[in-house]
Amino acid sequence: MSKFQKSAWFNLGFLTIGSLFALLCFYWAAGRIEEGFNYINVILFLLMLCFIVPVVYIIGQKKSYEACFDEREKMINQRATSFSLWSLLIVLYLTCFVPFVAFGGGNIIKVVYLPVIFIFTVLTAQLIKSIAIIVQCTLEEKNG
Amino acid sequence: MGSEHLSNDVRRLRFENGQITQQQLADRVGVTRQTIIAIEAGNYAPSLPLAFRIARTFGVPIEEVFRYDE
Repeated sequence: MSKFQKSAWFNLGFLTIGSLFALLCFYWAAGRIEEGFNYINVILFLLMLCFIVPVVYIIGQKKSYEACFDEREKMINQRATSFSLWSLLIVLYLTCFVPFVAFGGGNIIKVVYLPVIFIFTVLTAQLIKSIAIIVQCTLEEKNG
Repeated sequence: MGSEHLSNDVRRLRFENGQITQQQLADRVGVTRQTIIAIEAGNYAPSLPLAFRIARTFGVPIEEVFRYDE
């Protein structure tokens, strides 16, 4: 297994655990949030920031690491990135329009769902990118 | 345009040039072993610079390594 595949597996594992952890934390915290400005909200905001900053940092580190990949791996990476962006659009579309169809245009959605949508879409894009890389490498190995 | 294919003799040239391994060739041209495997299997068409580097490693012109079949 090449470094490229290993990094994709690492990304997949890290993001799966991270997303589950983030959603669990958010689910736990969301039940304790009161309406309006509240110190719990501020603490939660800072905790989320503590989670998002390392994730962004790790993704940034991986970007600089990707410069070491060779041309075939860069091509696979580009294909996976465009695939994940298309998936991101589809996921966002479904996330926004399924409730619209299900509940109707005149209904109200809780603000608590907005951070969940944010976490969900960002992590989905990264997960799909990792899976796309792993699938492409596996298919190449099978054909080779 | 339908049935274009880039075939190559990388595998044969490796054996004719002191039986160098895929890893050794990969190190010499600056790619991973997986890329050499993909090129040999015809699953990946290398860029022109890489194709020239491979040909130069074997000391032959590029058309002796890669052929464009229509």
